[in-house]
Amino acid sequence: MTGLHHMLVHFPVGFWALATLMILVGAVSQGRLAEIARTALLPVLILSLIGALAAIVTGFLVWPWQANLYSPLARNHILMSLWSLGLWTLITVLVWRAGEATFQHIRRWGLVFLALLGGALFAITGTLGGHLAGAPTAFSRLLGALGWNVYTTFYMPTWMLAVMVLVGLGCAWLGLSAYRRPRLPARIKNRVTIS
Amino acid sequence: MRDWRLLLILVGLALTLVLAWTVHGRGVIRNDQARNIYIPDELTMPLQVKAAYDQERIFFRYRWPAERPHVYHDMLRYTDGQWVRHGASRVGPDPDGTYEDRVTMLVDDGSVPEFARYGGYITIGANMRFFSDSASPTEVEAHSHLGKTLGQTEVQKHLPATRQDINDWRSVVDAETLQAQREAGYFLDLWHWRAGRSNPIAMSDDQWVGEHRHGDAGQGPFTTNWDDDTDQPRWMFDPTITGKYALRWEDVQSEQVDFDSLYYLSENIAVPFDATHDWQEGDVIPRRLLRGGAGSRSDIHVQGDARWKDGYWDVTLVRARDTGSPLDDKMFRDQRRYDLAFAVHRNATGSRWHHVSLPYSLGLGRHADIQAMAFEGNEPDWSQEWFDLTLFYPGQVNWPLLIGQAHAGAGDIVSGTPVHARHSEEQLAHYGVEMEFNDAIIRQWWLTLASGLLLLLGVLVGLLPSFSSRYQGDRS
Repeated sequence: MTGLHHMLVHFPVGFWALATLMILVGAVSQGRLAEIARTALLPVLILSLIGALAAIVTGFLVWPWQANLYSPLARNHILMSLWSLGLWTLITVLVWRAGEATFQHIRRWGLVFLALLGGALFAITGTLGGHLAGAPTAFSRLLGALGWNVYTTFYMPTWMLAVMVLVGLGCAWLGLSAYRRPRLPARIKNRVTIS
Repeated sequence: MRDWRLLLILVGLALTLVLAWTVHGRGVIRNDQARNIYIPDELTMPLQVKAAYDQERIFFRYRWPAERPHVYHDMLRYTDGQWVRHGASRVGPDPDGTYEDRVTMLVDDGSVPEFARYGGYITIGANMRFFSDSASPTEVEAHSHLGKTLGQTEVQKHLPATRQDINDWRSVVDAETLQAQREAGYFLDLWHWRAGRSNPIAMSDDQWVGEHRHGDAGQGPFTTNWDDDTDQPRWMFDPTITGKYALRWEDVQSEQVDFDSLYYLSENIAVPFDATHDWQEGDVIPRRLLRGGAGSRSDIHVQGDARWKDGYWDVTLVRARDTGSPLDDKMFRDQRRYDLAFAVHRNATGSRWHHVSLPYSLGLGRHADIQAMAFEGNEPDWSQEWFDLTLFYPGQVNWPLLIGQAHAGAGDIVSGTPVHARHSEEQLAHYGVEMEFNDAIIRQWWLTLASGLLLLLGVLVGLLPSFSSRYQGDRS
């Protein structure tokens, strides 16, 4: 299973790297290339999720589950891979929902931010995978310089867990509240929907 | 700006992640005396080694940094009419500093096959002393071999094949098998230099590790200066020779050591304890009496003066290449390779609070990590370069764990991949620390994983309105 996992991880890493590039091109440039990037983004994202799921499933089968749990590097690899999957799923859903309007207005910059964050997450995931495969890279030294030694488990103190959950709940409330806003006066509503 | 919702969510996400990055790894790792846990401030430290040999002898020279020397070990301080012990084995550093510095070296000649690949890890069995799950002293004392024969109350270093089941310290193989293993060379020679209990008389302790950590045959360099029946020392300083009856506590506490002064009690300057003497508050008598060793246990000597100076210990040990005690020692023959592993105790710590090395090879006329230099004359000129290595705090990692289901590298061990190929000292130090808090870290890691995914879910729900295909954004 080790070899299969090593092969499959190239798909999400490659697709997510490509998706990050496409989002940057689509957001900051105009012309044919940007148009292709915007149009092809959703298929690339969907392929990346399929590849990521396959990589993660095979990854869980490389070692006994207890060995995964007992290894700080493996724990970090699992956490970062699942967070990567979560964030890129988020990006995929947003791109799918916004459709052709994905890159309009301020959304494009929001997407750029999320894509860069996703890029950082899968880069960390890949680096940790390299460590586990016996091929560490200099990127982990950069992480160390930024305050995280990858040989230590990435976990939060309990109060920070509460902050993360509360911020998540707050974000969800903001989104849900948008659907429950009182009806706008007709004159303002027209300004928003007719353009 | 009316795209405040999208901005607010992304700024909130960014700030949360920055905060998470800043505070990660906190809240679990802390010293815990009740669980035998003390984490040293420095997880790694350097050690320098040189080796040299002539026709008869082999020399090892060690150099390592230490903020201050700890040469006082296990002292009796006269307090309120009682002799109170300062310096018993304990968790972490001794608060009075009365625990000696040490350097130790395990030696093998290839008879213990796993040692060349995994070093001292193979000597750490289940339920070792000062582990959080250490075996009950009562149970060890009742054990037919460790307790009844060896008189032990703790599980100490031992080799894997000395147990029928490596997960069970009780399952010592029978005496005949132990003897056969020893005769076959299945033991590790242990050189054990002690700054307080051997160095003042230019000696090193000489031990070996088989089913337990044994002293070599003969007499060691120290004995205990305490009479349980009278609750007082057996010996004191001879005032006619030393001009004093005891040391003073304020001298023992001093960070500076005058190596030419008396900081130890040895048999040539000791007389039987005089209970009628007018003992003063703060008088100190060492609880260990140093004495000339005898037999195989006295094979290793200090060459020159082993001293701490300018922040470094510099210690040279010498031994006959062939001691004539093949059941206690590994003989050093020309054109052979050996395997070594080192450890240093400093900062007044004992037992498992040491820094250890991975295994390294030693060559006598053969290429190896550490090349012993052949010389002629009285002593080596030490003109060769130091061999630099890194020692690390090993934490609570034992051999049963490493060869079991919980270790991802167990298969590598089965296939003979050496630890050097897979792990660095820094990595092993962090793993060792985390293993001491494994359950708590796993729990917190699960919660972190779940909290992160919940955060992302909340962000997704929050951003959905802004990413509606009908939403056209704000107009400025």
